[in-house]
Amino acid sequence: MSNQPETLYRALSDAVVGMDEEKTRQLSEQAVQTGVDAYTAIEQGLVDGMNRAGQLFETEEYFIPELLLCSDAMYAGLDVLRPHLKRDHSVARPKVVIGVVEGDTHDIGKNLVKIMLEASGFETIDLGRDIPPKRFVEEAVKHEAQVIALSTLMTTTMDGMAEVIQLLRQAQLRERFKVIVGGGPISQAFADRIGADGYSSGAPGAVKLVKQLVGVAA
Amino acid sequence: MPQIRFLPQNRVLEVPVGTSLLAAARELGLSLEAPCDGVGSCGKCKAKASPLSALRESSHEWLTQAERAEGWVLACQSAVVGDVEATVETSLSDGLKILNDGQAVAVALDPWVRKAVNPALGVTQVFAGDQVLAIEPGDTVAHVYGLAIDFGTTTLVVALNHLRDGRELAVASSLNPQARYAQDVLSRIRIGSKPEGLQTLQRELIQELNRLIGEVTASAGVATSHIYEAVFSGNTTMLHLAVGTNPASLGKYPYTPALVGATHELAALLGLAISPHGLVYLPPIMAAYVGADITSGILATRLAELPGVTLFVDIGTNGEMVLAVDGQLTATSTAAGPAFEGMNIACGMRAGRGAVERVQFNGEGVAVRTIGEAAPIGICGSGLLDAVGEMAAYRAIDKNGRFQANGASAGRPWASQWETLDGVAVFRLGGPVYLTQKDIRQVQLAKAAIRVGIELMLKANNLGPENVDRVLIAGSFGYHLRAPSLINLGLLPREFAGRVEFVGNTSKTGAQAFLLNRQTRENLRAITQKVRVLELANDAAFEKAFVQALAF
Repeated sequence: MSNQPETLYRALSDAVVGMDEEKTRQLSEQAVQTGVDAYTAIEQGLVDGMNRAGQLFETEEYFIPELLLCSDAMYAGLDVLRPHLKRDHSVARPKVVIGVVEGDTHDIGKNLVKIMLEASGFETIDLGRDIPPKRFVEEAVKHEAQVIALSTLMTTTMDGMAEVIQLLRQAQLRERFKVIVGGGPISQAFADRIGADGYSSGAPGAVKLVKQLVGVAA
Repeated sequence: MPQIRFLPQNRVLEVPVGTSLLAAARELGLSLEAPCDGVGSCGKCKAKASPLSALRESSHEWLTQAERAEGWVLACQSAVVGDVEATVETSLSDGLKILNDGQAVAVALDPWVRKAVNPALGVTQVFAGDQVLAIEPGDTVAHVYGLAIDFGTTTLVVALNHLRDGRELAVASSLNPQARYAQDVLSRIRIGSKPEGLQTLQRELIQELNRLIGEVTASAGVATSHIYEAVFSGNTTMLHLAVGTNPASLGKYPYTPALVGATHELAALLGLAISPHGLVYLPPIMAAYVGADITSGILATRLAELPGVTLFVDIGTNGEMVLAVDGQLTATSTAAGPAFEGMNIACGMRAGRGAVERVQFNGEGVAVRTIGEAAPIGICGSGLLDAVGEMAAYRAIDKNGRFQANGASAGRPWASQWETLDGVAVFRLGGPVYLTQKDIRQVQLAKAAIRVGIELMLKANNLGPENVDRVLIAGSFGYHLRAPSLINLGLLPREFAGRVEFVGNTSKTGAQAFLLNRQTRENLRAITQKVRVLELANDAAFEKAFVQALAF
């Protein structure tokens, strides 16, 4: 293998998109040993690989298992590389409060969105599932989040999303947060109707949406 | 105000600007397919409109470029801003197959309702249990009837039985009229959670039931006033809606039913057109998603009495299942989503005329059979599972479900089925019917839901698929499926090969057993009280097992 850092970044990216957790870990260790910049290895290696996985997911070539395997590989690499980040890279990352609305316990979709957001450099505060509207607001305020991401699989619980937006309005906080919605029964029309800032039908799309809403370059 | 003309019905309506085509059609009483109730997530309420400038469309999702070019829109996503003509399909029940029979259990004739003459007084007493329900002049003992009713989310089946000899005199079936408002159970719960919505759904259901009762009594030559009891078998949501109980709690975790069953209601209060003294019996309900229809299934198949390990599964939008291990019962349900109804599928449709219902790969390519032997116009759930099962078996998709449009197909008889539509690969089944990669993903989600339920229920009993002695597939959808396809898909484990039986509509046959033998009611109440109901979402292993179950 060539000693060029670029070759190593590419190999890291390939290992992530190739769902190879062990190889990703080995290459990350190699990056640490050869002294390449950890931040660049994460950005141009691990994150790049996860972004490619996201693209394959969007074009339906990859599905949930592949995306999860890629993220396992990415997290394995992050575990190795993160301790070696220089301090000047520890800039504040935009925060997203994410959860499944009250009454619903289906959370696989939410988990996928969370993974993709983390891969794109966002900090997520995952509230879990069956979360009352009030808690989304409280946590978003507490963590000074920029985005609230709401998920549900059930038609019977989607009105809880409108409640979150209502609560924000009542508390004069609507302008402070961007609210995005997603899940099986949700559509763009529903998002428009309840006054959400955005809707995405899939996890990679949700990342693009969040980037657009908070003004981060894609 | 803009004017809408609906074709081919040639009905005209003036509406305020901004009214959706779907709302206008409903106002005219045209029943458009709108299973998601106008949310915009199912893509089924297609209409061909002209001019398009008279509409403001909020979503093109679900329409191909070719469809858009031809002027197709989604009725629920199109707000009217000017005069417009819209061509719509309304044939909801065209050629629909409804399964109205299934495996039955022989029970001793000992109905809850019976009659006895009192010669001294010259009257006939009608007994319900040990209570006198009614007194009729003269001798009417020969005329004592009951109804067994299966409330499916999609279909209704009404059977009329003679309570003196137990004979089934007539059966009638139809589509559940509530499906016009919303196809799936959750959307119905949503509508029924509001008082006016509940009233509408209940009224529609009872009206249709009364029509079916009229049909069976006419064909058997029986007076409706001589029907004294009706057994309401159906899923928990349908029973709530049938008796007018707010179903809201069913739609939110922890999914608690407001009804528990094993009770009687007064038929007159429900508006049911039987004897004014008539009773409605609700069998025991086990959980929000394990309802009286499954209790009927346990009864009809004698599940609690079977030796060894038996798995009972009702495959549908909600897959309900019961595992019996030498009389110990565990039950669960799993959200398979609407793919089995042909929803969220590019060319999906209900099991009506022209729907591809069978798909087989062979030496020449792909053979399809349609309902009514008509030219194919879409694909229904059974055809879809067949098609994807064959694609998996013949490796037209890999184990992850990915299309093998290139390379791997070369030289195979079905290689010529691949085409490119709007820049992506599709698999042509015949005529205008094709499958997309997204369709495969929908099937994966649905089949994994059922499979994970089976796996976790076996695990909870420390068993593996190899320990299962027999698998009973119930329900009208299940009846149209083929065991090899279910196994190729991985909806069922390979170990089940050769052990699968299709038992049909056991909700109806079980309801008949309840009707004809009063002792069954006490028995099933005792059995269902001991059933262990698993909530899969609370199982820590759920996500991992689900992801594994997605593979072919």
